[in-house]
Amino acid sequence: MNAVRQLGNGVFSMNGREWSLLVACLLAIIIFSVASPHYATSGNAATVLRNSVELLLIGLGMTLLLAMGGIDVSIGIVMGLAAIAIGRVLGADGNPVLALVAGPVVGALLGCVTATVVVLGRVPAIVGTLGLLGVYRTAVFVLLGGQWLSGLPASLTNLLATTVLGVPVPALVIVAAYLAVWLALRRTPYGLHLLAIGNSEEKARLSGIPVIKIRFVTFVISGILTGVAATFYVATYRNVEMTIGSTLALDAIAAVILGGTSILGGKCSLIGTVLGVLLLRILQNGLLLIGVPSLWQPVVTGVLIIGVLGFEAISNRFPVVQLLRARA
Amino acid sequence: MKTLRNLQGPALTLTLLCGLWLIVILGLLVLKPSVYNLGTVTTILQFSTILALVGLGQGLVILAGGSGIDLSVGGTVSLSAIVGMLGVKLGLPPVLLPVVCILAGAMLGALNGWLVNGLALLPFIATLGTFFVYSGTALAITGGAAQAGVPSWLLLWGRGVAMGIPVPFLTLAIPCFALAGLLLLSTAWGRWIYAMGFNERSARLVGIPVDRVRFILYSLSGALAGAAGLVSLAWLGSGRPNIGQNLELESLTAAMLGGIAITGGRGGVGGVFAAVLLLVTLKTGLLQLNINTVWQVGIVGGLLVFVLLADRLSQRWRS
Repeated sequence: MNAVRQLGNGVFSMNGREWSLLVACLLAIIIFSVASPHYATSGNAATVLRNSVELLLIGLGMTLLLAMGGIDVSIGIVMGLAAIAIGRVLGADGNPVLALVAGPVVGALLGCVTATVVVLGRVPAIVGTLGLLGVYRTAVFVLLGGQWLSGLPASLTNLLATTVLGVPVPALVIVAAYLAVWLALRRTPYGLHLLAIGNSEEKARLSGIPVIKIRFVTFVISGILTGVAATFYVATYRNVEMTIGSTLALDAIAAVILGGTSILGGKCSLIGTVLGVLLLRILQNGLLLIGVPSLWQPVVTGVLIIGVLGFEAISNRFPVVQLLRARA
Repeated sequence: MKTLRNLQGPALTLTLLCGLWLIVILGLLVLKPSVYNLGTVTTILQFSTILALVGLGQGLVILAGGSGIDLSVGGTVSLSAIVGMLGVKLGLPPVLLPVVCILAGAMLGALNGWLVNGLALLPFIATLGTFFVYSGTALAITGGAAQAGVPSWLLLWGRGVAMGIPVPFLTLAIPCFALAGLLLLSTAWGRWIYAMGFNERSARLVGIPVDRVRFILYSLSGALAGAAGLVSLAWLGSGRPNIGQNLELESLTAAMLGGIAITGGRGGVGGVFAAVLLLVTLKTGLLQLNINTVWQVGIVGGLLVFVLLADRLSQRWRS
């Protein structure tokens, strides 16, 4: 028992950044509750949590990527492709077990493709994944043939919409994924190497870290998590539309940056990402309910990204902040 | 050896691009001979104008190094066109429309420059953020509706054709490229851009005003995107809030295909010009062959990945 406690020491530990995110979430909830009578209902809370499932899973992978100094702007469409695969498997014979496997497998394969271009091909991650984003978008259109994939059998939904000991399955899977990623990051050489690469790839290579292997694996992990996210997507909506995942990559990047993971690499916070996802979804849902058109959502997300990074950059210039950082 | 290789670079790129272009043309000729007339040339150049202006800005930003990139160009094109049209609607004299579009673009670009220089944010993340802010704002303030009311004298310029060449291409795209080529090849500024792209540290040490040059280049990229927005107004006759869609991808592909190294310091604007013509010829050809437009983004994206991988592979072979 003691060993387990030691192993899990600090798994949900929160610093100033995480606490202020939590406060921001609560503040947003209070403000929206006052502003809209439809906001503070149990149904709406369930909606917000439901909408966060995919982003939480993808956000965990994006945290690893950004901490490593990488990025993947194609991740939302990767989820779309995995969802199409799941939909096809489900539509063929309704076998939910095969469908459960399809998502992570397709995700892992596409992660390999991305890693081959970005890691083995030594292409900057932003440019490589932007190119792949174009390719994947065409693939989604061609695979769907201009129509939605709809009316999928309910077998997968029945399997994943259940509860185990009163806890919904998605929550269980998210906690499991969180623990797995946290353990890999904080308790294995992999995590140490990943952060070292984020700090300085050159120094990491010189000190004998298998940079290529670590970077490759991280893209594949991100792909697998995205495949799992796709499984929940299909189980919930039972259809796949043409525009699936078009803003997911931006949302994931915003959540990770909100959470305090440094885009310059070397520093990351998984609990921060979780809170960042919740804050983002609370804001998006609340703004919609107080009557802001959904067209403004990408603007809000973009402003959040630049605002947070800009605020950090400016506040870092004040000696007081540096002193506090040094003491913390 | 290294200097020799560098000298051969641009010529090699241009030869390869011309070869590819001939293949595309010949392929089209075999598949659909009826395409060949002056009208097609005009269409291709008309479509090229916007991409040429945006690709030029993108190319210059990347050339100056510091992992420079401008992902917001598409959003800047849309937003500056919309700002111009809304300005006219709010009572601005229509004569000022060109000035407003280009100025709006320059200011949006200057914001990028400040984020990258003043706040030292990574270019790709700063411009990714502003991309969504700009393109989202263009869509949200119009509700997605096209803004009509372009003055007729502007349409005359935008739709005019002289000797088979569209007037905007003749009066805007070609002079911009000529000026940029002159700037790069025969002014101190051009040398500075190459120097800071090649090795920023050394460039700083020898006293090149790296920050100022970079800020101006981001503003210039914005101004060129604003000019592209103006061209879209003058050509289409209305301000479309999604006119800049996919331009970040296409301009990047044009710059990479044109032989500009993603790390900066290598390449020139002639290659970008040729790459723009190649890309638009390819897209027009696909359109003529009745291939669904959804293939375009995939082909452009695939080309981008291919070019980058080919560049790496060729570097490995040569060394």
